Amino acid sequence: MFITDIRKEFYDVVTNQRVALLVAADIDAVCACKILQVLFHCDQVQYTLVPVAGWQDLSTAFLEHKEQFQYFVLLNCGANVDLLEMLQPDDDSVFFICDTHRPVDVVNVYNDSQIKLLIKQDDDLGVPSYDEIFRDDEEDGDSGNESDEGSEPSGKRRRFEEGAVERRIERQRAKREWEGRRREILFDYEQYEYHGTSAAMMLFELAWVLTKDTKDMLWWAVIGLTDQWVHDKITHMKYVTDVATMQRHVSRHNHRNEDEENSLSIDCMRISFEYDLRLTLYQHWSLYESICNSCYTSCHFKLWTLNGQKKLQEFLADMGLPLKQVRQKFHSMDMAIKGNLRDVIEESSNKYGMKDIRVQTFGVHFGFKNRFLASDMVHATAALLESTEKDDSASDNFLKALDSLSRGNLDRLHLGIDLAKKKLMAIQQTVASCICTNLIVSQGPFLYCYLMEGTPDVKLFSKPMALILLCKYLLKAFVHSTRNKRCKLLPLVMAAPKDVEKGSVIVVGIPPESETSDKKNFFGRAFEKAAESTSSRTLHDHFDTSSKIDLSSSNAALQTLRPSLRQTLGGGLLFISSAASVLEALSFCFVISCLNRFFVCCWRM
Amino acid sequence: MDPSEVEFLAEKETVKIIPNFSLDKIYLIGGDLGPFNPGLPVDVPVWLALNLKQRQKCRIVPPAWMDVEKLEEMRELERKENAFTPAPSPYYMELTKLLLNYASDNIPKADEIRTLVKDLWDTRIAKLRLSADKFISQLEAHAKLDNLTLMEINTIRAFLLDSLNCMYKLRSNLLPGSSKGQFTDY
Repeated sequence: MFITDIRKEFYDVVTNQRVALLVAADIDAVCACKILQVLFHCDQVQYTLVPVAGWQDLSTAFLEHKEQFQYFVLLNCGANVDLLEMLQPDDDSVFFICDTHRPVDVVNVYNDSQIKLLIKQDDDLGVPSYDEIFRDDEEDGDSGNESDEGSEPSGKRRRFEEGAVERRIERQRAKREWEGRRREILFDYEQYEYHGTSAAMMLFELAWVLTKDTKDMLWWAVIGLTDQWVHDKITHMKYVTDVATMQRHVSRHNHRNEDEENSLSIDCMRISFEYDLRLTLYQHWSLYESICNSCYTSCHFKLWTLNGQKKLQEFLADMGLPLKQVRQKFHSMDMAIKGNLRDVIEESSNKYGMKDIRVQTFGVHFGFKNRFLASDMVHATAALLESTEKDDSASDNFLKALDSLSRGNLDRLHLGIDLAKKKLMAIQQTVASCICTNLIVSQGPFLYCYLMEGTPDVKLFSKPMALILLCKYLLKAFVHSTRNKRCKLLPLVMAAPKDVEKGSVIVVGIPPESETSDKKNFFGRAFEKAAESTSSRTLHDHFDTSSKIDLSSSNAALQTLRPSLRQTLGGGLLFISSAASVLEALSFCFVISCLNRFFVCCWRM
Repeated sequence: MDPSEVEFLAEKETVKIIPNFSLDKIYLIGGDLGPFNPGLPVDVPVWLALNLKQRQKCRIVPPAWMDVEKLEEMRELERKENAFTPAPSPYYMELTKLLLNYASDNIPKADEIRTLVKDLWDTRIAKLRLSADKFISQLEAHAKLDNLTLMEINTIRAFLLDSLNCMYKLRSNLLPGSSKGQFTDY
């Protein structure tokens, strides 16, 4: 059930208890976890933090902790699946779920005792009403009555029987109709996956209600929101609306401390609203590198071609920026140039067709030289979270990413920024090589690309977030580079090796490139159905239901998959244990489904 | 003595806070504290003030001496005099560091205060070094210094005692007829 008063129904309940925190592995969840940890420290609530990467981790963690804890708080996991059925908890376990995954499973919505959803109800949820899905079964009772009535005298019995039979037929027909409608409603409700308000923002509102909100928490909430935007999980409209909400909090905090004539110490944190450039990490890099490695500029200029490089030089000359300055580290650039850099860049980029080079975001400033934009922090923390160093386990990475958000751990943050730079450069190089060697193949209703094992930096792309980023950049670049009009409207499926020893492959699909995409993902359901129909070994482990891992690798299995895949077009889910069959399955899928769908699937090959 | 021990002793000083919660009087071994009422100032030891501040349960009021004009006057006085002037507080250095680290948003003009206190400290330590140097080079027998704080004494203690020991060793080895090997190790 949805919680209305977050303070009374959630915080006051857990304050005197021991709580288990199960947190998913994405930046929004990390920020939400940080906010909640600070609140727990203030009130000395005992908690255990368990990072979980997928459903299996969640089940294991739950089994380990279910004897000691009664209250579980789940951050960014658990809302979109029937939790009680999956975990089989005892009757006194209570789950507080703060999750951005939609649609929320109907069982979770209508369970009153064990599942409490920390989700705002004005997020357009579209949950079907109770009567449309659940209904008490009266059939058995009636048929029981009818059999009792059978013991009555035979004369009456005959009349009863006729009437009873008619009524029974009527009821059965109504029931079948109702069930048909129910299936339809549930199918419509659950077919598209999308994301709601950031979990970090929800928990910041909790802190605000408790009047314990600090600038640190506000900054983490901003990072959570920016993560949703950077990884393309929410629409632009929603992002702008949420930015406005955060902007209100930011001005409230700024007014609170600066109204006296005495200004704050330089070490205090100052958050400001910025209408800043869309160049990733440009303040920690040189301007030239940032332009080359940001998806937006690189795709518009087509920097993988010679022509594109020339255009970039023209662009820089047009702005009057000398090459030597532009290739220097940003904070060593001339002050005169840095002064009105944003306006100059905006003017010039309008001439080159890049209308939205600036975006609304927030920046933070503390100490004399520490200045970060929210997107910088998202990239740095994401790089730390998915770092592919040999000795780090997933939970180590999670804890490192968590630490990097504190102001005292700046060296970790700078390490994250370096890793993010490497990741972005790897993505750009891979994009350039894929486009130049025509690795993207058009397979009818969708585009397909497979990263071979020997590709440089391919290890980076065995993680879902990095692969999705690569996929998006690649599709954008492809759309800008191809002349085929039809291809511009196709979705892209991308495969990369996940685990070389086990031979598994991670596959990701994204919807077609469009200005007004509603960011709804269709692949989740598609993959499930494909897995069922092809009976291939797949692992739907990620909380984004669009990820799946296929385990069967024999070609024979593939052969049997193809016909069944053709039949699952309507469902649009495909699990394929080989690239070819995936393509086929997806091709059928796409013929029927609307093109604005999001597919993410992982499977092992 | 370790500087952290001196800081520990400094945390017993009282400071005024304005809590945002209410609690009855609490009876601790060191004394009674409270009662706490939201919005009413109360005197508590620094260790409790810092803990409450970190849990966002209070606002710290800077002590009376932690003010830009007063510290500027003291700094000028210290520079003029040869002897030591009375320090703003017997634990001024530690309290400045603690309060400005954890509660700088409650203290106006925190950066200037930090600079002024550092200037004061530098002047006093310079005087202390001069005095110690004079003491050793002129081979004095005893000296008296007023108005030193524990942190300053602690800073110079190791150096002063070691140098006096060395001087004693050297002097006693110079004396005629002293048996060799008697004063080698301590």
